[in-house]
Amino acid sequence: MNFRTFAAFVGPSVFMMLLFIAFPLLSVFKQSFYITQPIYETVEVETCTPGFLTQTCVTELKSQPVLDDEGEIVTRTEFVGLQSYRNVLEPERAWRAVTEGNWSTLSTIDFWKALRFTLTFTLITLPLVLGCGLGIALLINSAAGAIRGPVIFVSLLPFIITPVIGALSINWLFRGDGILTALLEWWLQRDIALFAQAWTIEILMMFYRVWHVAPFAAVVFYAGLQTVNQDSLESAVIDGATRWQRLKFIVIPHLMPLIIFVSMIHLMDAYRVFEEIIGFSSQAYVISLQWLTFDYLVPDQAGNRSISRASASAMLTMIGIVILLILPLRRTWRDHKGGH
Amino acid sequence: MSSRALRQPLSLRLTSGVFLAIWCLVAAFPIAWIAIMSVKSPVDAYDSNALNVILGPATLAAGNGVSVLDILFGIALIWGMVRLITRVVPGQIRSYCAPGQEWVGWVIGVLVSLLVFLLAALVVLPAVLGVLNPMAGALGRDVLGLTTEHYRTVWIERGFINNFRNSLIVTAGVVTVSLTVGTLAGYGLARSGSTLAFWILLIALIFRALPHSVLVAGYLPVFINSAEWLAPILGDNAPTLYGKPFAVIAVLVAINQPFTIWMLRSFFQNIPAELDEAARVDGCNHFQAFRRVIMPVMWPGVITTGLFSFLLAYNDFLVTSLLLDAQNQTMVPAIAGMFNRETTTTDQVVAVAAAVSIIAPLFFLVMIFQRQIVSGLTAGAVKG
Amino acid sequence: MKLKTILFAGAMSIAASGAWAACSYENEVPLKSLSAGFEAWKAVTDAMAECGNFSASLDQEFREKQPEAFAADPSLYQIGGVANETMIPLLNAGTIRPLDDLVAKYGQDLLPNQLIKVDGKTMAIAMMVNAQHLMYRNDVLAELGIDEPQTYADVLAAAAKIKDAGVMDYPIGGTFKTGWNLAQEFVNMYMGEGGTFLGEGNMPTINNEKGITALETMKAMTEFMDPEYLVSDSTYVQQQFQQGKIAMANLWASRAAAMNDEAESEVVGKVTMASAPMGSTRPSTTIWWDGIVLASNMSDEEADAAFRLVMEGLDADMVSANNDAAVWLSPAYTPGELAAGAAASAANGAGPYPASAAMGVLHSALGNGLADYLTGAKDAETTLADIEASYITAAKEAGLISN
Repeated sequence: MNFRTFAAFVGPSVFMMLLFIAFPLLSVFKQSFYITQPIYETVEVETCTPGFLTQTCVTELKSQPVLDDEGEIVTRTEFVGLQSYRNVLEPERAWRAVTEGNWSTLSTIDFWKALRFTLTFTLITLPLVLGCGLGIALLINSAAGAIRGPVIFVSLLPFIITPVIGALSINWLFRGDGILTALLEWWLQRDIALFAQAWTIEILMMFYRVWHVAPFAAVVFYAGLQTVNQDSLESAVIDGATRWQRLKFIVIPHLMPLIIFVSMIHLMDAYRVFEEIIGFSSQAYVISLQWLTFDYLVPDQAGNRSISRASASAMLTMIGIVILLILPLRRTWRDHKGGH
Repeated sequence: MSSRALRQPLSLRLTSGVFLAIWCLVAAFPIAWIAIMSVKSPVDAYDSNALNVILGPATLAAGNGVSVLDILFGIALIWGMVRLITRVVPGQIRSYCAPGQEWVGWVIGVLVSLLVFLLAALVVLPAVLGVLNPMAGALGRDVLGLTTEHYRTVWIERGFINNFRNSLIVTAGVVTVSLTVGTLAGYGLARSGSTLAFWILLIALIFRALPHSVLVAGYLPVFINSAEWLAPILGDNAPTLYGKPFAVIAVLVAINQPFTIWMLRSFFQNIPAELDEAARVDGCNHFQAFRRVIMPVMWPGVITTGLFSFLLAYNDFLVTSLLLDAQNQTMVPAIAGMFNRETTTTDQVVAVAAAVSIIAPLFFLVMIFQRQIVSGLTAGAVKG
Repeated sequence: MKLKTILFAGAMSIAASGAWAACSYENEVPLKSLSAGFEAWKAVTDAMAECGNFSASLDQEFREKQPEAFAADPSLYQIGGVANETMIPLLNAGTIRPLDDLVAKYGQDLLPNQLIKVDGKTMAIAMMVNAQHLMYRNDVLAELGIDEPQTYADVLAAAAKIKDAGVMDYPIGGTFKTGWNLAQEFVNMYMGEGGTFLGEGNMPTINNEKGITALETMKAMTEFMDPEYLVSDSTYVQQQFQQGKIAMANLWASRAAAMNDEAESEVVGKVTMASAPMGSTRPSTTIWWDGIVLASNMSDEEADAAFRLVMEGLDADMVSANNDAAVWLSPAYTPGELAAGAAASAANGAGPYPASAAMGVLHSALGNGLADYLTGAKDAETTLADIEASYITAAKEAGLISN
């Protein structure tokens, strides 16, 4: 395929990605090195607001942005180098905490707290998703033909459900005296508050994620199981291989590309964990890297946002994901070269 | 695994049966539970006793209930519907549609079955049962608290139908554009071994991994001010992109492109290159080869990929909540707004009903396309 | 499931919507509004919609969209809904217009109290006020012989008594959800102690005795609260009240009506609205207002039509039809028992929320930082010092503190 044909095929797709992903990304990259801020002046202002029956008027010094002749806010953009990265990472505080061996102090610094949780979340859910997915796929595969359809259908439900609603429904089930908490309390005969400490919330969040993603893994693996070479399985049986050996030496190697595919997708998705934080309102106990970026980005009531720190934190998040993906990607490179 | 040598011993079959049952319970329970909550009065829905939630005594006391007869008819209707969709509809589609145009048949088939179901459940069944119940004695007496008032509030009073329409527009747009652009790119990437192709794929993969909130926040000022910066190009009638569904469609398509091209590329790689090479020997150029040879065999992969696009567009919250205003908001941001502002328990149950309304179309979709998903994946859409 | 009931209910709902008092004139100019989505806004925008050619966006993300949308020329929305703090970015950017001439033309029915004045110019029309104040179960307190709590010491003593008597496990409720709500609780307490948040050059001034007292009071309250307090927002506290699980809470006046809602509440008539508990100088609460602003970037004719429409939306008919939905600022409003708490707090000297651009940054820093003290990860002084540090970083980035 020559370059022009290739460009014609790929062009529209690349154009859209450039316009809506690469271009914003470049501006994020640039913003992480600059700070743009309005120029404020301090003026004395009298403000009157309603009290209950009478008005309260206060005169005080307030910072107001300077407006130019056209009524636009005058802003100043300044190159600050790595300052925003430093503000996000807080290296001095973090280093002090590390040298003193004081891990609990380290875990009160936002970025490190978020990184700790994001990595734990990603690395713990990964094997669980793969394991549950493979388990469910094997179970479905060994089930009678007539019930496979309905079982696959039910299994897919957690995967297709709108994430916002999924997190909310877990909330209803467990929050306060939610029905499942009530059940647990009845079973263990003690008062349980699942949203009152970090570790129970973390477990709930991981449980939710595995519940949500395992069906995807299961269906992919199930599709893969349909193409396992039956002859080699049969000859393995004749050779006296146990079920476990057959699984280990024939089925899993056959599924290996799919396992890597699912792992890659899951690494990417779990690393940007966000809906769980909002859905479980876990900010008090655990936060994630994407939540941190989001928090910098959302304007407070008075409309201020920390664009520069948000950009820096986004870039740091991206570096993290690239590191995580290097291993699976090397294999893709070999395949790509080998396939042609 | 039909072969005799691979048959499992009874004990293993039993154990795996039990585990499968447990999994199905875990998978379906939360969804089933909110469906139950949505048809109860607020007092019942938030009761901490599970039995009260299921039986709904307060709902029943308020005069809303169903009889044994109602339940039996309801189950029969749902069962019939499931059979119809999974058995009859696919056959009908195959027999009426020319190969290669099955998707038209699918769209019509889905819409017709949905219409039939709604008609039967909302008009025919209540009318028939209204006559039968008084005649059936004990069987006709209300035993289970059940009310559809929350659904009525959602769909009629709150105008959820508008949100539904907006969701349809956005989703249909995203799926169509995403697949059109994506199949071309996927094919191009699959048939090109160049280093450029690899880098495009690699960068797409990194794009796939980006946290969306980073990108999306940057769009808002640009979209709101688009009338100003588009004016030099488009003149006076330059549109304000903020609040326009097509702008949201473009953004969602772009965000979805990396996954789409990866899926379709691996799918096309599994179609032997000899096929289109043969066509090219016969004098076709690449585009003609694509249209004549590849298009007829690509549907399983396209349907599977399309389903993922559908899910992304239908379930999206971040982009739609930020870039659409209230007049053309889709269902998911609308319901998130409901939860945030509603203060009374009644309103919360109404919001639960809205949540179930959002899931319902997904439910039908998976019921219909389940075989296609599996066969699409089996056919090689996921070779890593 | 019965056809007749469905049809009947449908007919009822149509009849109900037709029963609204119609608009007194026909609006010819197409107008749009953007505001938050709570009940009072729904009532006001519904009343405005009766005049025709008007569409309202009740949007949870309004805070994020409003500054950009009003800065566009012409503005995407003519009418905006704001509160103390959300007016600041619009005011600073000069995207809302002075309303004095329009008030003179159409505002005969407005109370002087409703005009939000900045440097003598009317910039917004307030429609309602809101404040957190004490709500308590009169039956529970009376049974144990406890007087109406006046201070937080009283509240804690009452809670201990209720708990010891075995009436409730967790007698106190609180809107302690991490983020905005939790910060707001601190602001209340700290205001009650008479503290100031910001000093010379927008530097923070919360790390002091008063700040520590405020934190300690909050921690003492959590002893008597459901352990999941860090996820409990106003709606959750309201439900706890309705289900009879708590006896006292400092809750928003706009939630008062829900206590007497027969359909959901088990405590109808058993909840008394009282002044917010006193800190050492004033009640531990802040007074908030919600109101309407008009964009600068539109023609004077549009502004004229928009203001006329707003007056129609805030008229006496709307207020009397939705009397209990809010503490309205209107001559037509009849304050009932439900408004007593807000009134008593104001009479005791509660101040307005100290809105400013810098306070917005501090509020966010408080919201993210306070949980560490309540969960025991940091002591009070470190918590306040860390909050000040993170405020300074953010305020420098925003340009509010010079480097």
